[in-house]
Amino acid sequence: MIYHTLLFSLAVIAAIWAVMARNLLTSAIMLALVSVCASLLLFNFNAPWAAVFELSVCAGLITVLFISGVSLIRASTSTTAEKMTYLKVLPLALGIFGIAAWFYLPPFFAELAGWKYTAAEAGPIGKVLWELRRPDLLGQIAMLAAGVFVIKSVFPKRRTVK
Amino acid sequence: MDKGLLAYLLIPLFTAVVIPFAARRRAKLADILANVTLLAGLANLAWLVLRPSVIADGFTSVPGDGLSILLVGLIYLVALCVTFFSAEFLPEEMPNRSAYYSLIMVSVAAMCGVVTTSDFFTLYVFIEVLAVTSFALITTDDSRAGVEGALKYFFLTFPASALIMIGISLLLLTLGSLSYDSLRLVMASGIPSGPVVFGMALITLGFLIKSGVVPFHAWTPDAYQGAYAPVSAHLGGIVTKISGVYAVLKISTLMNFAEGMAPGLSGGIMFLGMLSIAVGALAALKQKDFKRMLAFSSISQVGYIILAAGLGTPLAIIGAIFHLVNHATFKTVLFLNSASLEKSAGTTDMEKLGGMEHSMPWTSWTSVIALLSTAGVPPLSGFWSKLLIILALWQYGFKTYAVLALLFSIVTLAYFMLMQKKVFFGKKSAASERSPEVSCALLTPVIVMSAVIVAVGLLFPYFYSYVWMVAERIFL
Repeated sequence: MIYHTLLFSLAVIAAIWAVMARNLLTSAIMLALVSVCASLLLFNFNAPWAAVFELSVCAGLITVLFISGVSLIRASTSTTAEKMTYLKVLPLALGIFGIAAWFYLPPFFAELAGWKYTAAEAGPIGKVLWELRRPDLLGQIAMLAAGVFVIKSVFPKRRTVK
Repeated sequence: MDKGLLAYLLIPLFTAVVIPFAARRRAKLADILANVTLLAGLANLAWLVLRPSVIADGFTSVPGDGLSILLVGLIYLVALCVTFFSAEFLPEEMPNRSAYYSLIMVSVAAMCGVVTTSDFFTLYVFIEVLAVTSFALITTDDSRAGVEGALKYFFLTFPASALIMIGISLLLLTLGSLSYDSLRLVMASGIPSGPVVFGMALITLGFLIKSGVVPFHAWTPDAYQGAYAPVSAHLGGIVTKISGVYAVLKISTLMNFAEGMAPGLSGGIMFLGMLSIAVGALAALKQKDFKRMLAFSSISQVGYIILAAGLGTPLAIIGAIFHLVNHATFKTVLFLNSASLEKSAGTTDMEKLGGMEHSMPWTSWTSVIALLSTAGVPPLSGFWSKLLIILALWQYGFKTYAVLALLFSIVTLAYFMLMQKKVFFGKKSAASERSPEVSCALLTPVIVMSAVIVAVGLLFPYFYSYVWMVAERIFL
């Protein structure tokens, strides 16, 4: 239970950080951290497939895409002052969501629990990754290599733009 | 995953990582490493498939389903032409030259992953790698058109990925597995459940968007026109075929369209295929830019493959695979020729060119071979594939589609002849006076590909027996 609470808390902190961060790169990394937490939780709930997909798609692939996107943004645009009004709106939005969740989420989860079925034990994460989804790992390595080369290909242009 | 072909995925990936380190001091090493890797792979594949003993056996000793190895060979061939051409074409002072070659090699590895996998999720992962590398390759040309093309590619193909992902989730929910075999078993049982078909429909829609089929074709002309010409050849020649068309073809065989399974989905795919043939051909007639015209021509030719995939009978699948191979060869020739024109005359605007045949005879005559094959003129390779597709349509009672496909083949010939007349034939223009024929290094890949077009056309019985073997393995 402490493990779950820790992971949930970490996910929430990382998610808020992702929204609040001024640096887009930090946002992307925090978002990846949210995905990693979610993935570990899914694993603990006996849903290894969902966990592996979450880890590979959200933590791996989407992060690479975000980082590539951030690298494409010209240096000049990041120097302009940001509108920080959302900083005031965010606590309000969180408050409203919290109150609504208090009322609606417990019955929603209760209804979902009626549909639940216990997933079969697929073994530890290493087994799932190495024995069941090995080709995906290869794909992830290719994706990481692609991400590195995308950034390498785009950055020389930024120097010439300056 | 076909483990026998794993090396064709791993070696380019390894080369991609090595290139930036090796080319740090000598930029030329990047060209050499990329070309040598692809050439070695191609030689190895030729040894596996084209030995006299293998041909004499009717290709029975070819490993796997035969389709994967054929497509891996095609990927290597087109990529080799592109890298060989790029070595001479790209500016010497290009700052991201090694990254360019690494991206091509990762893209080759990803395409090999796509054609060798037997699981929908792995397919998705490799398709995404391909999308990211394609996006970066289009931006290699940092002109405004290049960046615009890349952004359009990004905004139109990533929603397609979302659709594929939702489809995969539905499939996992209803089927409990994502392997091709489990889908084949469910379809063979004759009672496919609604959610399975719906999930597959979403996945197919995603791949149709990635194929650039009408009405999802908005990104294709801009991406092809905006990118460096060798990149356009890489994208138009092989990447869109593997990242979209191949998957539709695979889904068609897995879902057993030939037996009348999921008739709504099959009919829809056929309709979109026909629409692409028509819209692509009519739009190509109006184009003034050579590369843009080739992009619309690609949309039209992809339509033929999609139309045949929608039908799904063994003959249609043979025609579709054959046309996919042919399209890769003739579109590579035409895109590389557009690159030669750009290099020599400085433009691909057909209004400004004219009489280029006098100064660029090799470029002109290889274009003639490729365009005649695209239009389906015998005995070139394109004729046979179109004939098979039209025969398959006629055989199963789709006579209107068959007649329309034939008619638009004539339109294809019309727009290509107009292009040839405007650009190459006729009196010498100012552009042709100052544009010499390109160097031998730029002509070699084009001549090799043209020779492949002629050879496949003339040696059709051998190629047919190979594709027939593939169809037998897929359907039995």
